[in-house]
Amino acid sequence: MSAVGNAFVGRLRSLVEKIVNVNPIRYLVNWSKLYSLWPVHLTTACCSVEFGAANCPRFDIGRMGVAAFFGSLRQCDLIIIEGTVTKKMAKRVKKIYSQMPSPRYVIAMGACAISGGLFYNSYNIIKGVDKILPVDVYVPGCPPRPEALAHAVLLLQDKIRKGRVNITKGE
Amino acid sequence: MSSMYFSVGPQHPGSGHFRMKITLQGDIILNAEPDPGFVHRSVEKIAETREYLQNVPLIERQCLSDVSSVTLAYAMGIEELLGIEVPPRAQYIRVIMCELSRIMSHLYWLAILGIFVGHSTMFMWGFGDRDILITETAEKIAGARVSYSYIIPGGVRYDLPDGIKEHTMKTLDYFQGRLKEYDAIFFSNPIFKRRTKGVGVLSRSEAIRLGVTGPTLRGSGVRGDIRKDAPYAAYDELDFEIPVYSEGDSYSRSLVRFREMKISSSIIRQAFENLPEGDFKVKTRKKVPEGEVFSRVEAARGELACYLISDGTRKPYRLKMSTPSFRNLPGFSLMKGSMLADMPPIYMSLDYWPLETDR
Repeated sequence: MSAVGNAFVGRLRSLVEKIVNVNPIRYLVNWSKLYSLWPVHLTTACCSVEFGAANCPRFDIGRMGVAAFFGSLRQCDLIIIEGTVTKKMAKRVKKIYSQMPSPRYVIAMGACAISGGLFYNSYNIIKGVDKILPVDVYVPGCPPRPEALAHAVLLLQDKIRKGRVNITKGE
Repeated sequence: MSSMYFSVGPQHPGSGHFRMKITLQGDIILNAEPDPGFVHRSVEKIAETREYLQNVPLIERQCLSDVSSVTLAYAMGIEELLGIEVPPRAQYIRVIMCELSRIMSHLYWLAILGIFVGHSTMFMWGFGDRDILITETAEKIAGARVSYSYIIPGGVRYDLPDGIKEHTMKTLDYFQGRLKEYDAIFFSNPIFKRRTKGVGVLSRSEAIRLGVTGPTLRGSGVRGDIRKDAPYAAYDELDFEIPVYSEGDSYSRSLVRFREMKISSSIIRQAFENLPEGDFKVKTRKKVPEGEVFSRVEAARGELACYLISDGTRKPYRLKMSTPSFRNLPGFSLMKGSMLADMPPIYMSLDYWPLETDR
């Protein structure tokens, strides 16, 4: 693209950012993000059993606007860290997070994702996923019940509505 | 024709915490190399730093879909070292919990297999029935949904609650009807048969050579089951059969698990009918005498062995677990020479659980 074109796109972007920050429009934008949270299908450890149960008929967090997780990574805006993150997995978690478009949200599920949990003195784990990613909602439990995960989704939606999430810009 | 290399996972709808490196030529898989180790949490090393009872919740995290069998192998080892006799009531309750775990694990597998071959109904039914029928029964008995540290050295933690027999019988009656519906909609489904029959054939001699275990072994015509070969708990007093199919393809491995769910229900019924009165736990000492012990059980995925060395203190000197998923890992060589679309049924028919492999 030519230099003139670049300048035009830059101006357009700053204009859009200004418009989005106007109060009623910002409310509308935040509201539109609420009910279209698409989680990445990334299972890091054993909390995936309860995550699977939460997506299925009895608990069904889909009715809260968390769509089924078959989208591509480029369409996802929510990453649920299900349990322990080992050193080998941490590289992949960071890579996957960096591939997601902004705005993106993180839920840390289970004691291991919060602080290491039962495996606190292991040599191969990251003690708390907040050391590598900005976490929005923590869900305690080992493993948390599916209801707890549903509550976490509601808390995250509340945070988005009020505009209090960790905003990290995509590259 | 030039070949193509790509990796499946760890971020992939079907892979879980696991990666496969696949070399493809056209539509044929030339080489499929598993890459485990994404969830190595050093369970065996941590176990050396904790007391014997504290290790029960730790080791059950390695297989959260089938927790009872893992803790049972560990508890049996300690009981042998301590030289204590577990009361018969505890033995029967252990059988009930192990079989409930087996059904839970198989339903989880069935649901995921359903979505792998594009059958969403089976996915929803499998998970729904698992939660509403089996997990709830286990929760009523043990007090937690999946991670109940119920089986401990010396017996079980609590006695059975009141009215659990009637509840379980009612649940199993309903579950029998559901199994018939599974058969009608899924296992007799011509599309499912076409996707799995003759796919990923593992011959009898090859199965023995690779050392696979559990339903993968029984799907290849080998009658190998620890519940019959070296009976533990109360299995020698109960009457049940071992399903064996000789075709060795993905369909026969699936049928083994499907029939095991039916047989597990009948084992639970018998255990409730013959449930003896008495204690559910005996007192154990915290210090375990010196010695080495080897104990094994039949978990949902196959033979699970536990090797324990004690040096006479409150903590184990060494704990080594040999898990069925690790032993089924060579089975991924079945993918060589098959089509790419056959990869999901072969992967799922081995019922691979990465946490159990990496520990």
